[in-house]
Amino acid sequence: MTETALPLSTGGALSARPLRRGRGLLNWLGVAPFLLFAVAFLIIPTVYLVVGSFQDAAGALTIKNYGDLLTPTNLRTYGNSIEISAVTAIAGAILGFLLAYAVIAGGLPRFLRSALMTFSGVASNFAGVPLALAFTFTLGRVGLLTLFVRNVVGVDLYNDHGFSLFSKLGLEIVYLYFQFPLMVLIIAPAIDGLKRDWREASENMGASTFQYWRYVALPILMPSLLGSTILLFANAFGAQATAYQLTGGSIDIATIAISRQIRGDVLFNEGLGYALAMGMVVIMAVSIGLYSILQRRSERWLK
Amino acid sequence: MARGFGLVASLALAAAACTPAAGTAAPSSAAASAAAPSSAAASASSGGASPSASSSAAAGGNAQPWAPDATLLAAAKKEGSLTTIALPHSWCNYGEALSTFKTATGLTLNELNPDGGSGDEVNAIKSNKGNTGPQAPDVIDVGLSFGPQAVKDKLIQPYKVSTWDSIPATAKDANGYWYGDYYGVLAFEVNTDVVTNVPKDWSDLLKPEYKGQVALAGDPTVSNQAISGVWAAGIASGGSLDNAQPGLDFFKQLNTAGNFVPIISKTANVASGETPIRIAWTYNGLADKDKLAGNPNIQVVVPATGRFGGMYVQAISAYAPHPNAAKLWMEFLYSDQGQNLWLKGYCNPIRYDAMVKAGTVDPAAQAKLPDTSGTQLPTLDQITKASDLITKNWASQVGATVK
Amino acid sequence: MTAGPNPAFAGRGVVDNVLRDAGLTPSRRARGLSKILWWGVFVVAVLYFFVPLYATFLFSLKARPNLAAYTNTLDDPQFIGSLLYSFVVGLITVVISMALLVPTAFWVRLRLPRLRRFIEFITLLPFVIPPVILVFGLLRTYSRAPIALTNSNLGSDALLVAAYVVLSFPYMYRAVDTGLRSIDVQSLAEASQSLGAGWLRTMWQVIFPNLRVSLLSGAFLTLAIVIGEFTVATFLARPAFGPYLSLIGGNKAYEPAAVALISFGLTWIAMGFLAVIGRGSRTRVQVTGAR
Repeated sequence: MTETALPLSTGGALSARPLRRGRGLLNWLGVAPFLLFAVAFLIIPTVYLVVGSFQDAAGALTIKNYGDLLTPTNLRTYGNSIEISAVTAIAGAILGFLLAYAVIAGGLPRFLRSALMTFSGVASNFAGVPLALAFTFTLGRVGLLTLFVRNVVGVDLYNDHGFSLFSKLGLEIVYLYFQFPLMVLIIAPAIDGLKRDWREASENMGASTFQYWRYVALPILMPSLLGSTILLFANAFGAQATAYQLTGGSIDIATIAISRQIRGDVLFNEGLGYALAMGMVVIMAVSIGLYSILQRRSERWLK
Repeated sequence: MARGFGLVASLALAAAACTPAAGTAAPSSAAASAAAPSSAAASASSGGASPSASSSAAAGGNAQPWAPDATLLAAAKKEGSLTTIALPHSWCNYGEALSTFKTATGLTLNELNPDGGSGDEVNAIKSNKGNTGPQAPDVIDVGLSFGPQAVKDKLIQPYKVSTWDSIPATAKDANGYWYGDYYGVLAFEVNTDVVTNVPKDWSDLLKPEYKGQVALAGDPTVSNQAISGVWAAGIASGGSLDNAQPGLDFFKQLNTAGNFVPIISKTANVASGETPIRIAWTYNGLADKDKLAGNPNIQVVVPATGRFGGMYVQAISAYAPHPNAAKLWMEFLYSDQGQNLWLKGYCNPIRYDAMVKAGTVDPAAQAKLPDTSGTQLPTLDQITKASDLITKNWASQVGATVK
Repeated sequence: MTAGPNPAFAGRGVVDNVLRDAGLTPSRRARGLSKILWWGVFVVAVLYFFVPLYATFLFSLKARPNLAAYTNTLDDPQFIGSLLYSFVVGLITVVISMALLVPTAFWVRLRLPRLRRFIEFITLLPFVIPPVILVFGLLRTYSRAPIALTNSNLGSDALLVAAYVVLSFPYMYRAVDTGLRSIDVQSLAEASQSLGAGWLRTMWQVIFPNLRVSLLSGAFLTLAIVIGEFTVATFLARPAFGPYLSLIGGNKAYEPAAVALISFGLTWIAMGFLAVIGRGSRTRVQVTGAR
């Protein structure tokens, strides 16, 4: 067991108890391979991105691209992306957490858990054309579910309720197909770490289920939950193929706008495409910053 | 008025197309071709005298199968392979063209990004300058407007095929940088198992019986086929080759009526009945019809008015890793056999009129072509202007009303 | 009321048994009710996942004869070829990614906590950078001197793997980080070292086994990403599965549905194997008492 004499309190203690700290340089050696790899294959293309965003079609330096970002069209583009990503991130996080908890700690048979984990791995990347097609066959105008609901339940989704799969709502429903499993996969280790003993201990102390969740489980899980939600947000934000296939690009989202500019078709303005991508990076940086603040707050409850 | 203008335009085009063909009965007299014209040219030109029965199976009509020029073939073989891009196999029967070329030359084929658009092709050349690996395309097949732009950006190199003179002057760059290859006409691809009352014209699409059934085959801010679709719809309702705005208005109306489904419709969408009416080039619709073979039944309807044609052009990349293979490929495509293969794919090959005159057209394929008389083909300037208008305004005028 | 689990109660099996004997167990009825709830959640989720797949299946059967879509697909040598290619590339990606990220996350947690935000930002960058821009950047850098990787097939393959490793960063790192968070890394490391193990042994025999669950989930995600990925493979002209899917999706109606389902099924089975292998030897000491 992990019962040692070491204090299991705040994370700040890590630096207060150096573990045979060698020379400062040696510390960096541990992360060197990763950093080198990142520089070679990630940072360099990023540099092209940053530099390219400041160039116009002729290659001269300009900040016009960034100015173009503030046009109502582009602002609405970002707004759409943020809205769709936020909605699917939160919905996916909640549903994913519930599902993960159900199979891990909810008393369901053990084999369901590994089946779900492996399924989630596949489903979390079932995107693009196959996913769009699958949902068209399900919730499209002549989709399986649409017809079922119309014929059996008597509810005509398209004609009476104005529902359309090829809308923002439809897109969100489809996005959940890969958000949901992604959450399950990410949160599973954290739920695993929720020791059953804690649950029993809290019950033995007279806590109700609600109190258990409010004072024990959720605080422990909160950093992971928040982190996962942000990850889901980023995942949805970067999704493109599914949205493009499903809406023909009629709902403007950031990734589609970028690829239109970069792909060199009629609208071609590479610099603007890069600037749009930089905008995405900024939004992500803000989300991560938010996540850090939230996490630091909730990490108080953790060792 | 639009119709009259269109008639004049197509007559002018036909007149222009006729002249070079009449002038050179034997394409071999073209002096500008890089490779010495060989037996291929000589045998193709002689009217009905040459025996056609045995070779018609392969080349159709009186055309002889393509015989590659020996020097060029040797140079290409040394390069070993050809890299093409964005050539779906069922687009203008490229599948058969590619395999025929492969068998005839023994070169390996490296096919990139079949789903790509014209912009992707140009971009591939640009981002692979100096790259001799398999990512760099040798040849491109792009929408007309991309040709001159590629010349300006110095991305393509000139080459005049041995049959150069039988390509209409309006369909090629004078210096040989790009050259028209085929054109098609916009039509309605209709799943007749779902749609029993087949629409005959653009205005029919607005009828309430087609609610939620009409779609484009691409993204109108990016795809040549979709932009043409929007433009063509307008021509039948007050627009013209010089004015594409009515096209945008039409689609706005279509969208408000609830008839327009804003997805990129693929064959599967038509087959499943989700978008049983798809606006696409005739050749794509007809290829689908063949492929699906009645499961479900497809009918391709060329609209009664507003017949709009779109031309594509070929070019060789200035940075092609296999320039001789590229030239060989061009020779193949512009030979009678190559042109007939495109015809078999329901595309109108650019040398069509010349071949009809020479009797080298494949009669079976010719018979299958739908009636597209009265088709208007826009000029480069018109395309640039209309594309600009449609791509910049689609989102705000039509897209914004899509939920 | 302050919260936080009282560590004093963790793992005190003896105390539990005493309490249980005293009859102080949580009510069976409450447990039963919650179980129904969780089953409900599970069933709804299953429906959501499987109905679209079922609809796709029904559509694929519309081909004539019914299973033609499937037979055509399986007969196509390019199908198995590209699927295998992507799978192998995926496995290599997983291995390299783990080898890079586990030591890094571990090191950051233990020695360089100040670097944590920075590393996290780097691992999240691939999320934000559209793959099309990533691949263009890579092409521009590595398609000419001094390092011309793209001139050979092997070089292009290597570039593909590198790109995929980068794309896997967010998932792999997040999985590893979550895993590390739920085990007491510092104590483990110190305990292992005080018993005489060096860093390498600590990593290999103590840390890695305890991260098995997280590593597996990260591996699943990475593998699925690689198999489904399209943009990078297309622009690097590699015979991967993503480009193949788009190739047959072009003008065929029923085959794309069949291919999507087959690949879904095959990937799922492959992951099943991974899970079984990952469960591996149960003789490793389960230091943290996780289920």
